[in-house]
Amino acid sequence: MTEAPDLDRIEQEALAAVEAAQSLEALEDVRRRYLGRRGVVADWFDRLPTLPADRRPEVGRRLNDLRRRLEDALGRRREDLARSAARQAAEALDVTLPGRRWRWGRLHVLTRTLEEMLEIFHGLGFEIVDGTEVETDEFNFERLNMGRDHPARDAQDSFYLSDDLLLRTHTTVVDVRVMAGRRPPMRVLTYGRCYRRDAPDATHMPLFHQVDGFMVGERVTMADLKGILASFARQMFGPDAVTRFVPSYFPFTEPSAEVAVRYGGRWLELGGCGMFHPRVLEMAGIDPARYTALAFGLGVDRPAMVRYGIPDIRLFWDNDLRLLEQF
Amino acid sequence: MRVLLSWLKELVDIPWTAEELADRLPMLGIGVDAVDKTGDDAVFDLEIPANRGDLMSHLGVARELAAAARTAVRPPAAPVRREGPPTADYVRVEVQEPALCPRFTAALITDVRVGPTPAWMARRLEACGVRSINTVVDVTNYVMLELGQPMHAFDYDQIRGGRLVVRLARPGERLQTLDGVERTLDAQTLVVADAERAVGIAGIIGGADTEIRPATRRVLLEAAAWHPPLIRRTSKRLGVRTESSARFERGVDVDAVAAASARAQYLLQEIAGGRVLPQPLDHYPSPAPARTVELPWSRVSRLLGVEISLDRGAAILTGLGFTVRREGDRLAVQVPSFRRDVERPEDLIEEVARHHGYDRIPETLPLEVTAQGAWAPALRAERAVRDVLIRAGLTEALTVSLTHPRALDRLRLPPDHPWRAMVALRNPLVDDHTHLRTTLLVGLLEAVRANVSRRVGDVHLFEIGRTFHPAGDGVVERRRLGVVTTGRLMTGAWNLPAEAVTASYYHLKGIVEGLLGELRIGGAEVEAADVPWLRPGRSARLSLDGQEIGQLGELHPDVAAAFDLPPSVYAAHLDLEALLARAVFHPRFTPPPRFPPVRRDIAVVVSADVPAAEVHRVLTESAGPHLEAVELFDVYTGPPVPPGHRSLAFALTFRSSERTLSAEEADEAVAAVRWALEQRLRAKIRE
Repeated sequence: MTEAPDLDRIEQEALAAVEAAQSLEALEDVRRRYLGRRGVVADWFDRLPTLPADRRPEVGRRLNDLRRRLEDALGRRREDLARSAARQAAEALDVTLPGRRWRWGRLHVLTRTLEEMLEIFHGLGFEIVDGTEVETDEFNFERLNMGRDHPARDAQDSFYLSDDLLLRTHTTVVDVRVMAGRRPPMRVLTYGRCYRRDAPDATHMPLFHQVDGFMVGERVTMADLKGILASFARQMFGPDAVTRFVPSYFPFTEPSAEVAVRYGGRWLELGGCGMFHPRVLEMAGIDPARYTALAFGLGVDRPAMVRYGIPDIRLFWDNDLRLLEQF
Repeated sequence: MRVLLSWLKELVDIPWTAEELADRLPMLGIGVDAVDKTGDDAVFDLEIPANRGDLMSHLGVARELAAAARTAVRPPAAPVRREGPPTADYVRVEVQEPALCPRFTAALITDVRVGPTPAWMARRLEACGVRSINTVVDVTNYVMLELGQPMHAFDYDQIRGGRLVVRLARPGERLQTLDGVERTLDAQTLVVADAERAVGIAGIIGGADTEIRPATRRVLLEAAAWHPPLIRRTSKRLGVRTESSARFERGVDVDAVAAASARAQYLLQEIAGGRVLPQPLDHYPSPAPARTVELPWSRVSRLLGVEISLDRGAAILTGLGFTVRREGDRLAVQVPSFRRDVERPEDLIEEVARHHGYDRIPETLPLEVTAQGAWAPALRAERAVRDVLIRAGLTEALTVSLTHPRALDRLRLPPDHPWRAMVALRNPLVDDHTHLRTTLLVGLLEAVRANVSRRVGDVHLFEIGRTFHPAGDGVVERRRLGVVTTGRLMTGAWNLPAEAVTASYYHLKGIVEGLLGELRIGGAEVEAADVPWLRPGRSARLSLDGQEIGQLGELHPDVAAAFDLPPSVYAAHLDLEALLARAVFHPRFTPPPRFPPVRRDIAVVVSADVPAAEVHRVLTESAGPHLEAVELFDVYTGPPVPPGHRSLAFALTFRSSERTLSAEEADEAVAAVRWALEQRLRAKIRE
């Protein structure tokens, strides 16, 4: 003889399965499991004859009740699922439409280049200071050992504002200002716009940017100058960057050098450098017998042109968003 | 300056090929602009440093190469045969300005046949970029290229009185120079004259009347040294640069003037059949004494950071022509006459470093302790402002600081506007760059125009830069911030109302408010104001403590038209320094509130001519101590709001930092607000 089924438990499980079904397909599975031709309910109907005779009518009635309740539950659940599928379809997004974005701003590519340079020198222990773009002839030239008739002035044809005032031709003038106002040791860097009387063309503008650093101390050497600039070049142009120092002439440094970095298979001129001329130190009130000073002035515009492949320096001043938004 | 390899090889043994030489010269400090190889010869175009006049000749370059190759130069020979009566029988020299003319020599060569120059000489001149003219002129040029001493040859028979006088020009004195220009001279110009008139401008260019012609038989050869600054000034003033002036302004070897003249006399004798008269005149009253520079050897390593042996250093200096005497641990170095640029121990150290090799100086990082890395506060602040503006969606522009006053006409500025007070350049280069800018707007609006003309219509730019203003005899620089914005602010704005995603006055104002917020500057006021470059009714000024620090608004239609811009360009111009003076970059932490807020909305119906800021002010002043925030969320005109009025709806947030506020307390505050608005602004309140 077979034992009578625990129909309460079966019903609980079946209703739970109906509620748990998340799709019409899953719901059909549940229906088939309980009400299908070989489902749980049909199975027990088939096994009614094996029950004791006195239990058969009751179990048969309860099986019918169970089937009806399950069919009701399945029907309700089927309706719910159908309704939410339609809503989902209606609420679905075309996830491929363009995203919305407030426009983002960005730094000018030259400022970006400057910032990179400044961060590197800041990391090398330089104090970054500000200067003015209008300067005196005395500071811009005389105190850098370029008297009125110095031939080196030819290379720095200047815009004059009065007999004495001019637009600075190099940021080195800020070095002079700082040296005149402090006692060594110092390790200072400045940057900004400089002006020379050059007609605009693909490689010249009457204004351009420079980064200028110097260091004064009792043990500052040309080897330190090379070390600082080589370290800068490695950070700026990659760890394998090779620098070259060739002799040059600036009235305010002795010895003087030009520094270049190997970039893209060519020597890219970075700027001029050297050890401040003792006259420059003397004029700044620094004893050249006790102190030595390294100094360097680096271009910004040309390295940026080479680095980013910008063919014409005038493009920097054109503010074409199609260029600016590439960086 | 161009040099010929074959010519150099006559003067020194060069162990290097042309290619090797092209690599080696820059390492000696002689720049190579170009190398032109022809057959087994090569022309080098060299860049000579401004202090190295001695390198402006084949002999000078040969000296450097001799030192580099550790050999010696072979100066060219000048075995002149002198015959006839002494030169002084024919020529008198008078130097009236000895300070400007330290040395003056004159030689007379007779029986000269002026004709074509030998091909070898003409070729060399041409390779060096000098045009062949005739035998005599070519010889002087040849010697200049060879030895670095420029000279001038006169037709002796055109020289009146047989005299050469070095004097300042008489005011108004006229001279036609060899370039065909008729010049009126001034009293600052040094000339070489004969008994009556100027026959050449000293050191720069000769006169046409006395030039060498085919018929010339007697050549008066001048070789001199001039005061370099004089040559430089005169050459600049006259706008005449010659091979001669380029050498004299750097300084020639004063001691070698006579020897160079002898070399030219010899060549004239050899190739032009000339007879050289004995005892050429040489006015050299005070020969420059030889300079001796003391070099304590320890300074070399102290400056360079590398040890170079004293023996090696002495050898380098000797190779370069210095006379070196060793005195213990120092050198007493006598400077040769052709190296007047060497004055100090550091100059000698550079010579040693150049020939030792800059590449053999190690790379070290400084041991010296100095201040730690730091930023000047103003620069740090400027970076912070840039950062805020970029977050606001603006792209940084850089515009040229040179401009022209008429650019301000396009801004509709009245004649007395402060921006009209400009600093002028004394020597502008181009017509539209004659003054320093007093505003960033012109450059920024031109940038908008450039973009719009390329069909880029969404332009949101800022610039942080300096403007320049006259102040007494000086110039004041001010940091400014300019903002221009036009077009859409959003990408992917499909299906959104255009006005919500397009630049407007309120968007611009939002940027300004946001900047003030980020800089934690309180108390700024924006009020309607007439600004010449802004559209009436849509222009405002920004003030801090009653002081105007900027303007913002919609561009005036005339200004937009003048810059060829579409309507709806919005612009702001602010005094960044005034802002930064008030900025707080390191705020203190304020704990988030612990008690809940109470919110009340009120709608204020008020006459349309009452500014929102006024309503806001009354509201804030009357709401009591617990008012935390006021947000305007709606502006409405139309029924049921009476004509000439508008309804401003505010959300008020009340909160106490000590306890939970009751609804009654909020209601009392609102009642006070209502009373104040009704009394002070004759407003009607709808809650």
